[in-house]
Amino acid sequence: MSHCPHSRGRTILSHPEVPVTNDADLVRKAQTGDLAAFEELVRRHQHGLFSYLYRMCRNASDAEEMAQVAMVKAWEKLGGFRGASSFKTWLYRIGTNLCFNLRTRRKPTEELYETMAAPDNERPEAAFQQKLREEAVRKALDCLPEDQRAALVLSVYQDMSYKEIAETLGKTVRAVDSLLFRAKSNVRKVLAEDRAKGII
Amino acid sequence: MSNHSMNCGQVKRLLPPFLDEELSGRVREQTASHLASCPACRAELEALKADMGLLEQVGTPEVSPFLVTRVMAEVRERRRAAPHGFARLAGSLAAALVVAVSIGAGVLFGSGLAQTATPVAENSTEEAVSYVESSAADMYAMMAGGD
Ligand SMILES: [Zn+2]
Repeated sequence: MSHCPHSRGRTILSHPEVPVTNDADLVRKAQTGDLAAFEELVRRHQHGLFSYLYRMCRNASDAEEMAQVAMVKAWEKLGGFRGASSFKTWLYRIGTNLCFNLRTRRKPTEELYETMAAPDNERPEAAFQQKLREEAVRKALDCLPEDQRAALVLSVYQDMSYKEIAETLGKTVRAVDSLLFRAKSNVRKVLAEDRAKGII
Repeated sequence: MSNHSMNCGQVKRLLPPFLDEELSGRVREQTASHLASCPACRAELEALKADMGLLEQVGTPEVSPFLVTRVMAEVRERRRAAPHGFARLAGSLAAALVVAVSIGAGVLFGSGLAQTATPVAENSTEEAVSYVESSAADMYAMMAGGD
């Protein structure tokens, strides 16, 4: 599992006497040209944005490239950001658009296997079962249309509310509810088939 | 007649938002009360929970330790190419002016204009609230329509 991307409550800026704990404060500083504030925003959101994009395209190089482009774009557009949504959903929306527009996708990378739960050498059978389960989940997610997958990934792995997912995907909350219902039904259908076949 | 209860089909449709704690008010109450008395729907809820738990177990690779450095290098490069301190400030002021003008116009002309200048995201809170209301309305419409 990747580490929690959040580092709430930390003061990392070069001015420790000025505690900056939320994104909105950092955004305001960055909008005045404060690069340290922007760097802290990048630091805070890099893990989450990368893992979201990775789950969407399943290629680490593509995900990293998109995360980088999204963050640079965010810097360039920051002057126009008025805080109507959170910085996080605004940034993820930039990333989502890049991801949906990515025409030529590279082949999925294999990193997923390397980062699964550490292999249990004492119980190779359990480790093997875990690997099968993860492979089944990966395949189930792959079967989903892009928008359903995005909604599900944001909900399950980024812990976003329906409202935040709506902001990120540029949809209504009701559309998100419907996307998630379909995504979950579809994923569960695939998992049920695997279960019936004894794969998981 | 005033005390409608949901049937299993209606509850099953609401299980994902119920589990995600996105329901409120009467819809949430009725879903919870149906679950309390229906073992089949409870089993369905548990199965959904288990499958979502399975999804949560799958990790991703770690992000490159150089991503921040690369982003900031590019940002600095772009800043050198187009010193934006003042330009950015001017951009923000222009954006603020547009908002101020639109709001002013909205106030002057009743409604509509300010709304036009509002991006999708700004409506979301109202929408989230009305979602609960409208999902309730849907439920009642479904119940009134019978099966
Ligand atoms: Zn039931």
